[in-house]
Amino acid sequence: MRLPRFYAKKRGHRRTGSREWGVFGDGLFHGTLLIAGLCFGGLLVSGVAAPEWRINHEFRESRGTVLAKGLARTTVHDPPGTVITSWRPCLRVRYLANGTVRESWSHGPSAENTTDREMALRRLAAWKLGEETTCWYDPSAPQTVVLQRGYSWWLWLLSLLLPGALILIGGSGLVRGLRAWGKSEEHRAASVGLSELLDPLAQPALAAPGYPAVPVWDDLVNSPGTILKYRLPIESPESWTLVGFGLFALLWNAVVVVLAVGAGLDLLGGRIDWWLFALLVPFLGVGIGGVVLFARSLIFATAIGPTQLEISDHPLLPGRRYDVLLAQGGTGTIQSLTLTLELEEQATFRQGTDTRTEHSVVWRQPVAGFHDVSAAPHSRFEARAVVEIPPGSMHSFTSAHNAVRWRLVVRGTPERWPVFSRIFPVVVFPPDAEVPEPPTRPVASRDALRSIEVSR
Amino acid sequence: MTMAADRGATMPRVDVQFDRPHRQHEPRDQLSVRYRIEGCDGERIRAIEHSVLWYTEGKGEEDIGVHFFQRITDRAMMPPALAAGAFSTPLPQSPLSYEGRIVKVRWCVRVRLFFDGSRDFVSEHVFVLGRIPPAGLPASRT
Repeated sequence: MRLPRFYAKKRGHRRTGSREWGVFGDGLFHGTLLIAGLCFGGLLVSGVAAPEWRINHEFRESRGTVLAKGLARTTVHDPPGTVITSWRPCLRVRYLANGTVRESWSHGPSAENTTDREMALRRLAAWKLGEETTCWYDPSAPQTVVLQRGYSWWLWLLSLLLPGALILIGGSGLVRGLRAWGKSEEHRAASVGLSELLDPLAQPALAAPGYPAVPVWDDLVNSPGTILKYRLPIESPESWTLVGFGLFALLWNAVVVVLAVGAGLDLLGGRIDWWLFALLVPFLGVGIGGVVLFARSLIFATAIGPTQLEISDHPLLPGRRYDVLLAQGGTGTIQSLTLTLELEEQATFRQGTDTRTEHSVVWRQPVAGFHDVSAAPHSRFEARAVVEIPPGSMHSFTSAHNAVRWRLVVRGTPERWPVFSRIFPVVVFPPDAEVPEPPTRPVASRDALRSIEVSR
Repeated sequence: MTMAADRGATMPRVDVQFDRPHRQHEPRDQLSVRYRIEGCDGERIRAIEHSVLWYTEGKGEEDIGVHFFQRITDRAMMPPALAAGAFSTPLPQSPLSYEGRIVKVRWCVRVRLFFDGSRDFVSEHVFVLGRIPPAGLPASRT
């Protein structure tokens, strides 16, 4: 018998992991999760849930008298070297069980355990010696008696949630692996239905009806233009930079505040931790730098003014010409403002444990260019141009890890600010396509799939 | 007629014939394929799969879209009873074959043979859908 190879050949010169070992590892991982979930769930059910359920459903009611009371102490070495002590009120009760008078120490619910001895004493004080009270005993072990019933809901929730999540993740992974076992790559890709439920992240992007792998465009035509038919949505790289700087400044300064509060409390207590102060100074410097960068980006993003692009029709077809309207708001002078049509390829791949996305502009054509553009708060700059999608061009394409995207890009060089660029994605259909109505519900790209099973 | 073949010393051989010259097809064309299996050397085939699909090549992870899939498990329709087969399907309107810089889209026909035991053999035959020139050519200005 020959074991499968760890590495198998992929297309081109790259090597990738063996599918057999991959399936084995995947199965082992999900099987371990499933077994861990079942064991953990079993322990919680048998140790917590089942005893509570029995007390509430199977124990018989009786009357008892409190004869003595005390605290039960439980000491656990967890982790070794550390001792955790918990306390639970215990009552000695005389009661009638199965026609016999018995005396026994009560077993309280496990939720009664507390590491706070004072709290346990307060609970114990609520019981009076000689007091007559209702109790419940176990008919199969009459020496077991309780004075309180009820459910520890948080324990039940814990026993459902944690093992439930492990069982769900492990079980769905195993089912997915078993469904794929022995099937070819094509068969797996052709199988629809449960696989989408089991592995939603691996599903292809939404596609235009009747045009597999051409992206839907309904979110690009839901905003009417003021002069032309549609106003295109903007995709601004500067906005993401702003969000990134903002998040960094927020998180870093949160750390600085925690350190500063610690140092301040030390100072108030008359102690000076020089190491903490030495750490605080560079942290504070980086924090201030982060805030300055964020503020600068914010001013930059708001000072330039909004850019709008309207188009006479959408989606676009190769060989056709479309009117576009470029509008630039804000104040000040922009030395140069250009509009270009670009075709960009995007590839997402894994490198070690990282997932990376590479972009490459493979085609670029200037559409219009303007110099010394002046905009005022109440009169934006407006210019019209004609854009033509070259005949025979590749259409827009989207799959799970790859994309070919068309876009109109506005680049500006303001007088006193850095260069900015604003991207307006468009969707281009294949040549001579009959553009369908935009979908009103998700349509998967495998609509056109024809699957036939021939068997006798 | 075009022909492609997978050849190997101990491998089976699948000769595939496309119905269009140069394997050049247009969207919505009817793709018809005939194939012949040889060189199984007495190994029993338990299933044959026919598929027409596109896949991506290049820098990104490979994506695949199956347009047509057919699995044959009837012993009377596979070697040694019958060493030839055919299938046909209308081609879709997209995605078109594309030779990009970091993303490529290719169409192919696959005939996969499943032998008794766990061994399988796949024969892949690329064809072109549409007439998209390679990226960057001829009028590219990057």
